[in-house]
Amino acid sequence: MSELELWLCFVLITLATIATRSGLLLAGRRLVIPPRVESALRYAPACALAAIIAPDLLLADGQLQLGLGNARLLAGAAGIAIFLLSRSTIGTIFGGMAAFWLLKFGLPC
Amino acid sequence: MPEPTPRDAFLRGVRELLPATPGVFAWGLVTGVAMVKSGLTIPQATGLSLMAYAGSAQLAALPLIAGAAPVWVVAFTALIVNLRFLVYAAYIRGGFAHLSAGRRAFLGYVVGDVMFVRYVALLTLEPKYPQRVAYYLGAAAANWIAWQVASILGIVGADVIPTDWGLELAGTLALVALVVPLCAQRPALAGVVVASAVAVAARGLPLRLGLLLAVICGMAAALAVESTEGPKGKAGHTAQPDPESAAPHPSTAALPGAPEHRP
Repeated sequence: MSELELWLCFVLITLATIATRSGLLLAGRRLVIPPRVESALRYAPACALAAIIAPDLLLADGQLQLGLGNARLLAGAAGIAIFLLSRSTIGTIFGGMAAFWLLKFGLPC
Repeated sequence: MPEPTPRDAFLRGVRELLPATPGVFAWGLVTGVAMVKSGLTIPQATGLSLMAYAGSAQLAALPLIAGAAPVWVVAFTALIVNLRFLVYAAYIRGGFAHLSAGRRAFLGYVVGDVMFVRYVALLTLEPKYPQRVAYYLGAAAANWIAWQVASILGIVGADVIPTDWGLELAGTLALVALVVPLCAQRPALAGVVVASAVAVAARGLPLRLGLLLAVICGMAAALAVESTEGPKGKAGHTAQPDPESAAPHPSTAALPGAPEHRP
């Protein structure tokens, strides 16, 4: 791909991003969202997060891995437990990573 | 409670995003490294990061660019991967309808997964929060800075940052901390379970369409559970704040957000 083509790609990726993020905001009042859809949107954050998280934690090499051999799943479970106990986002991130590294690389000693 | 100034609200937005920044940072770092490893130069990767500010679209485009796919295929892929932002935009548009077209476009452009969840949490707790634009900008600014700084560090340090440490897991863990408090509501919990199952089951779909399908199925499941709960479910109807909307129902007011950051 030539330098020019590459930058054309970048511009188009940016336009695709702006279209999806800003498009509906620019539609203004002319576009009416049905009330039922509007009330479903309240659940969008939880569903979008779950849809991003689940494949990351449950799949290993593209296959469902629910066993103890899946370090990412165990680290995610540790993260959930830490959050429920501490309500700390930082604790969830660092505790989960610590659990992951312990499982992956073993105990340091 | 005194009326917050725009400055207060902006800083509150920054403050409430801070706990999740290590996750955003780790993701930005991994994306930066991936861009350089796929063959982009430092100026190219930096340009893409600053222009698009769209991690998943960038990652999806990389193998296509490396494989010299037609330009329109790259653009189409980015469009489809970004479709979840349509759902976000549909939610936030009600709160910003009074602004000029330019400002609305800008506010839409700077949306990110983490700051969007924070913004929804704010409006769920305080549907009439007067400085929501300033709050949104504060959260968006913190999200943008964390992402871009990390992304550029990843681009510049691609050769020295280890790729086998699983750093991207930190980003996933930040999202875990965002989603767990939302699950206290039964409809949202149903949505989370269904969206997770669909996302895993539909992993084979091209262009990450499984993600969009999962979000839609999850929202439908949440609505179905909400309708079985009777009128109680209606009380949470705060998606589009308007002057007639009632105060938040106590059962929903206690749920999202990070309790450790509430005054």
